[in-house]
Amino acid sequence: MTERSFLWNDQPIAFRDGESIAAALAAANVRDLGPDLLGQPARYFCGIGACQACLVSVDGVLREACLTPARAGLAITPAGARHV
Amino acid sequence: MFDRDVVVVGGGPAGIAAATALSQRGFDVELVDQRAQLGGAIYRQPIAGARPVKQSRFAARRWQHLHAAIQHAAVTYRFSSVFVGVDGHGNTLIEDRNQGRLVSVRARAVVIAVGAVEKVIPRPGWDLPGVVTAGGLQVMMKETGTAPQGRVLLAGNGPLLIAVAAQMAALGNAPVAIIESGNPMAINGNGLGLLPHAELLADALGYLSGIVRHRISWRRGTELIALDRAGSQLAAELRHADGRRETLLIDQVALHDGIRSNNFGLPADQAGTTTMPFITRAGDCREALGAIASQLDGMRAAADVAAYLSRKPNDAAASLDGIARQRAAQAVLATMFAPIAGPPRLTALPDETIVCRCERRRLQDLKLLLGGTGALSGREIKHNGRFTMGACQGRFCADNSARIACELNPGSPLVASDLTGSRWPVRPLPISALLGDEPAHHDQSARDQ
Amino acid sequence: MVSTSSLSVIIIGCGIVGASTAYFLARAGVQVEILDAIEPAAQATGSADGAVSVASKRPGPVMNAALAGIALYRELAVQGLFEGAFKSRSTFVLASSPVEREVLEAHAAVLRSVGVRVEMLTSTDLRARFAPLSDAVIMGLEVFDEGHAIGYQIVHRLLSAAPVNVRRNCRVESFLRDGNGRVTGVVTNHGPMLADAVVVASGNGSADLLGIPDVLIARKGQLLVTERAPALNAAMPGAIMSGRYLISKGMQAGTALASDRGYGTVVDPLATGQFLIGGTREDSGEKATNDAEAVAEVLRRAVEMVPGLAGVRLLRAFAGIRTAVIDSKPLIGRVPDADNVYVATGFEGDGICLGPVTGKAISQLVLDRSVDLDLAPFSPARFAQLGVAA
Repeated sequence: MTERSFLWNDQPIAFRDGESIAAALAAANVRDLGPDLLGQPARYFCGIGACQACLVSVDGVLREACLTPARAGLAITPAGARHV
Repeated sequence: MFDRDVVVVGGGPAGIAAATALSQRGFDVELVDQRAQLGGAIYRQPIAGARPVKQSRFAARRWQHLHAAIQHAAVTYRFSSVFVGVDGHGNTLIEDRNQGRLVSVRARAVVIAVGAVEKVIPRPGWDLPGVVTAGGLQVMMKETGTAPQGRVLLAGNGPLLIAVAAQMAALGNAPVAIIESGNPMAINGNGLGLLPHAELLADALGYLSGIVRHRISWRRGTELIALDRAGSQLAAELRHADGRRETLLIDQVALHDGIRSNNFGLPADQAGTTTMPFITRAGDCREALGAIASQLDGMRAAADVAAYLSRKPNDAAASLDGIARQRAAQAVLATMFAPIAGPPRLTALPDETIVCRCERRRLQDLKLLLGGTGALSGREIKHNGRFTMGACQGRFCADNSARIACELNPGSPLVASDLTGSRWPVRPLPISALLGDEPAHHDQSARDQ
Repeated sequence: MVSTSSLSVIIIGCGIVGASTAYFLARAGVQVEILDAIEPAAQATGSADGAVSVASKRPGPVMNAALAGIALYRELAVQGLFEGAFKSRSTFVLASSPVEREVLEAHAAVLRSVGVRVEMLTSTDLRARFAPLSDAVIMGLEVFDEGHAIGYQIVHRLLSAAPVNVRRNCRVESFLRDGNGRVTGVVTNHGPMLADAVVVASGNGSADLLGIPDVLIARKGQLLVTERAPALNAAMPGAIMSGRYLISKGMQAGTALASDRGYGTVVDPLATGQFLIGGTREDSGEKATNDAEAVAEVLRRAVEMVPGLAGVRLLRAFAGIRTAVIDSKPLIGRVPDADNVYVATGFEGDGICLGPVTGKAISQLVLDRSVDLDLAPFSPARFAQLGVAA
C-alpha cells in the first residue's frame, strides 16, 4: 500500500488529495461496490449523499462513498460484508 | 438560552447567500455542509490540480461573487456534517462527522438549504452498478476534472443532459449518445421564450455548440426503456419515436428526468417561539428553480430571518421578482423539453421493475397493494408496501410511488410528501454518534473563520 | 341468538382493536362499518413496539388476557391470516446487577406458577446462545413462546380479509338517540349514521364520548427502528428486555428507579433484519414528537446490552400516544347505561398483544354468544361516570 492509497476489499486503491472515496474507486474502474445491506450490489449513483446507494463500511462505520474524503490507510469494504 | 442566532444548512448558492447576508447584518451564523468545502452540487469545486469543467462565464462569475462575499463575512463553518433535523425540544441536530457525534445546537433560526435531487423514472435495470444519475456523473467530473471512463450513454429528459455531454466531451470522452425523450429543436418557436433570459440562453448555446462540435448524437424523441447486464457491460434498449428498437452496449449510463426539491422529511417552515426556532427553507429545497433563483431565495430567507430576529419590517421583496423570472424561464424549458410521447406512464412499465431500490419493492407489489380496497393514504402505502421505508427515505421513489398510485386511482391527490412525512432523522444516523454522555451540546467545535 | 345477517354495527376507531372487532363481526355476517377520525392504524397501533408478550407481566387478569392473546396470534398465524406477520420468538429478560438477578429469579418463579415456559440462563449459557450480548449481562431469563407483530400490518391483514367498510376522516361527535334515549347510531362530521350497535375503540378519542376524561391518560412512548444489520440480527435468538424494566414497573417494592421518562430497554430483532428499539413511557408528552435526549438515552441503554448496535444506523424515530386507564387495566365490555354500546380501549402498551383477542371477545358480546375471555376485571362499570349519557 502506498502512502496515498486506501484498501478496498484488501486491495490498495490510489487516490488524489481531496478526492472522495467514490471518485477514487471510479478512477480505479470499480463500479460494483459489493453487496449492500440487502445483498444487492451497491453503486455510485447520485453523488450528493441522497440515494444511499454507495454506502460502504469505512473503518467499520457506514458512510456514503460519495461524501467521504479518501484518506491513506482507510479499510473500506462493502456495507453488506460486515460481520455485524 | 440560545447558542446561535442562525444555523444555515447547506453550502450551495442559497445557503451561502443566506449566511453571507445574515452575517453582514451582524447575526451570529453557523453554516453546516455535508462536504468539506463550500459549493454544493452546482458549484462543486475541483480538487487541487484538477481541471475545472466547462461552464459559462456567467456561472463562473456567479460563483466568484458568492465565494468572495462569504470569505469577507464572519461565518462559522461546520463541514463534513449532516443535518439530522430539529427535534421536539427545538434543538437543531447535526451529525458532525469530524467528531463522530451528534451535535445539538439551540439556534434562534434555521435556514434549510439542502438543494435538489434528480428525478429518475424507474426502468428495468436502473438499479444496476454502472447506472448513475447525470448529476452524479457531473459532480464527479467537477470534483476530479476527469471524464467518466468507457462508453457512456446519457438518457432521460432535460437540458442537463446536454450540459453533461458537452462537459464530458471537453474533458476528452464524449458520450456515445444523448437519449432525449423530448424534442426541443422541433418546437415551433417555444425556445424563443428563453430570449429574455440571457444567462440561461448563453448556457444553452454554449453547451449546444459543444454537442455540434464534438458530433455527439443527440437522439431526440427517443426513450431508454430498459437496461440489462451484458457481460461486463450494460445493454441499453432504446425506443425511437417511430417505434423502432435499438440496443446499445455501453459501460455506464447516466439517467436524468429533471430535478425536484430535496425536501424529504424536513421540518415545515415555522414561526419561532421562546423554545422553537424560526425555520425557513431556501433555494431548490423550497422550489427547484436552479442556481440563480436559489441565490435569490437565500437572500429572501435571510431577509425573513432578519425581520424575525430584529423585529423589523421585512425587505425580502427585492428577491421575489427575480425568482419569478427564473420560474418563468424554467417553465419555458419544461415546455421545450416536454416528452413527445407525453408524460411517461409508470404503470405501463414491466411489473417486475424496481420502484423502491432500498427496499427492493417492485411495481407489481404496489399494484397488488393498491388493487384491493381502493385508495390508500401515503402513510398506508409506506407502511404496508414499504415504499419510501428504506435508507434514501423516499428521495428516489416517493415521487414515482405517488405517481403510480395516482395512475391507478385517477383523481387521487397523493404526492410524495404524503408518503415521506416530516420527521427526524432526515438521513440515517450512525448510532455510534449518539453514544457520548449526552448529545453534545453546542461547543466551540464549529470552526470560526 | 340474534340473527346476524340483519345486524349492523358501527365501530369507532380503526386501530388494532377496532379492526379486530370488525373482522370477527364481519366473518359472522354482521354489516360492519369502521369510522376513523384519520385512517387505519393512524395512532397508537401505527407506532407500537409490537410485543406479543407476557415476559414483563405479573399474574392477574391482564396476564391471563395476554396469554389468550398470544394463543390467538398463533392460531391465526396457522390459519394463514397472520402468517408471516407474526414472528414467533422468545423474550430474554437480562440482569446486569445482583439486584436485577434477584428480581429475575423471583419473576421466573412467578411466571412458572402460571404455566409460562421459562428457563434461567447463566452467563455461560447466555454467551453460547446469544453471542452479541455484552459481558455486563450476568444472567438471563428466557421466556418461551412469545412473539412480535407490527400493528399496522395486522390491521391491514384484518381489513383485507373481511368485508369491512372503513370511513376515513370521519370524526364521531356524539351518539344518536331516539325518544327513549336508546342509542341508534352516531353523529359524525359527515352527518348522522344509524346502526344497531356501536363499539367505541378510539383510544384517547373515547374519553369525551363516554364522559371519562379523568379515567383515561394519554401516555407517550418513543421508539426507534434501525437499518438492516443481517448478521447481528441473525445472531439474536429473540428480543431482549432489560431487567431494570421489571424493577421500574415496580416488581420489587422500594427499588423503583427514579426516572421522569420511564425508560425501559427493549431490543427486538425484526424479520426484515432491522431492529426495533424502545423506549420511553412519558405522561407529559401529548405530542408525538421525538427528542434527541430521549433517543440518545434509549440507544445508550440498548448498546450497553448489545454493543454491536453501535455499528448500525438509526433509520427512523417515532412516538405513539397510547391510552392508559388510571387503574392500569383496560376497559372492555358493555357500557352500563346502554345495552347496545360497547367499549374497548385503555391498553397502553399492550394493544398489539391484546387487540385481536379483545376484538374477538367484543364480537362475542355483540352477538350475544359466550365470551372466551373473562371480561369481569375489565368491566367499564367500575367507573361510575362512564356512559353514553355523558
